[in-house]
Amino acid sequence: MSSPVLVGMADIKVAKGTGTLTCVGLGSCIGICAFDSSQGIAGLAHIMLPEAFDKNHVDKLGKFADTGVPELLRQMAELGANTRRLQIAIVGGAQVFKFGTPGTAPKMDIGARNIEAVQKALRDVNLQIQAKDVGGNLGRTVTLDVATGTVKVRTVSKAEIVLCNFKGAMPLAA
Amino acid sequence: MPQLTLEQIVSRTGDLPALPEATLSVMRETDKAEATARSVAQHIIKDQSLAARVLRLANSAFYGLPRQVNQIEEAVVILGMRTVKNLAMIASSYAWFAKELKGYGLGPQDMWRHSLATATAAQVIAEHTRKAPGDLAFCCGLLHDLGKLALHVWLDGSVDKVIQIAIQTGKPFDEIERAAFGFDHADVGAHLAAGWNLPESYKLSMNYHHRPDECPTPDPVVDMVHLGDYLAMSMGLGLGADGMVYALSEGALERLGLNESSLEELASKFLDAWEKSSSMTKELAA
Repeated sequence: MSSPVLVGMADIKVAKGTGTLTCVGLGSCIGICAFDSSQGIAGLAHIMLPEAFDKNHVDKLGKFADTGVPELLRQMAELGANTRRLQIAIVGGAQVFKFGTPGTAPKMDIGARNIEAVQKALRDVNLQIQAKDVGGNLGRTVTLDVATGTVKVRTVSKAEIVLCNFKGAMPLAA
Repeated sequence: MPQLTLEQIVSRTGDLPALPEATLSVMRETDKAEATARSVAQHIIKDQSLAARVLRLANSAFYGLPRQVNQIEEAVVILGMRTVKNLAMIASSYAWFAKELKGYGLGPQDMWRHSLATATAAQVIAEHTRKAPGDLAFCCGLLHDLGKLALHVWLDGSVDKVIQIAIQTGKPFDEIERAAFGFDHADVGAHLAAGWNLPESYKLSMNYHHRPDECPTPDPVVDMVHLGDYLAMSMGLGLGADGMVYALSEGALERLGLNESSLEELASKFLDAWEKSSSMTKELAA
């Protein structure tokens, strides 16, 4: 098997047929996995922040949720994907604690804001999320197998799990 | 976990970090009002290996100098003494931080990535808020997790248990460390650096980077390192087994005059700065 394609910070990668796409060490960032099972086309975006400050001057569209989602769709459409029928999984959006209040998250947290912004950006293009593994306080690595449509998540200190399989039965959103 | 005092832990841990004398004297020299390019350079060239690494960094693509710089004094003139001080700190600390720290679930280079990212973020925050010099925030950010270099040995094999306790109780990782050892990695770092006679901001930011509200002497650098650490963690840079099991102090944000929107703007600026500063790593690893 060829080595996985690393989707670095603010990157978007798309592939058709075979291969593996992966985001390593997601903290508050979110990996958006998108899949068109009829064409065997997959995409993975490594979103860092909720919104672009100036939409006319964004050096890397994948950096922000509001610019990254349309760009992911554009790149997948370019490969021949039907972007109205994409299946989606989102992974990441970890958060820190709120100081002095055990177990709660602070109101100004990038992780929580990223989850909200990614969900909104997907709603805006009428795409539903089939599976998600978001929040918590630990780093995650997500891999998307292009041939099988399998999304796996490895959380630090835990065993790897299969989050969903886009070609098989669809688990309910977590 | 063994019940040992902080001093016992440190004395029983082999291979502890030490800053080269040349780097310490460069730091002292750059703080003097009468320092010159020549006087700063003279301290660096006392240590030829340090001087070679500083020159390699100065000539890296990061600075994009129009021509090759071959003399330290020339590097000080072109880049400024504060930047060259940062380079001396980077060159001195890379070898410690590039190691694998199993106790914290950090692979080779992870601790280095986290340290350089925190330094870069702290400098971005300093330059944005103008409440402390950027080079000081950078160097304090670089060293903030020094204590992990000693404490990781003692956490090896038990870190998963500590994480479980932290997540179940909703308490930050450093608090669980304190419950287990009687002190945390921040205390160990401050203890390790005590003999180096570093300026007060270094000790305070090492000691209070997870609890800036408890810092006995208000110091904006402590808040900058706290938020720099938060940004580095949020962006997933060098996340270990302890992940993001730490607390964000909203007090630190308020003291620096920041809010939700400016924090995200700083995060974006930090990512731009990180793209450049992280490119220096290949010069060090060469």
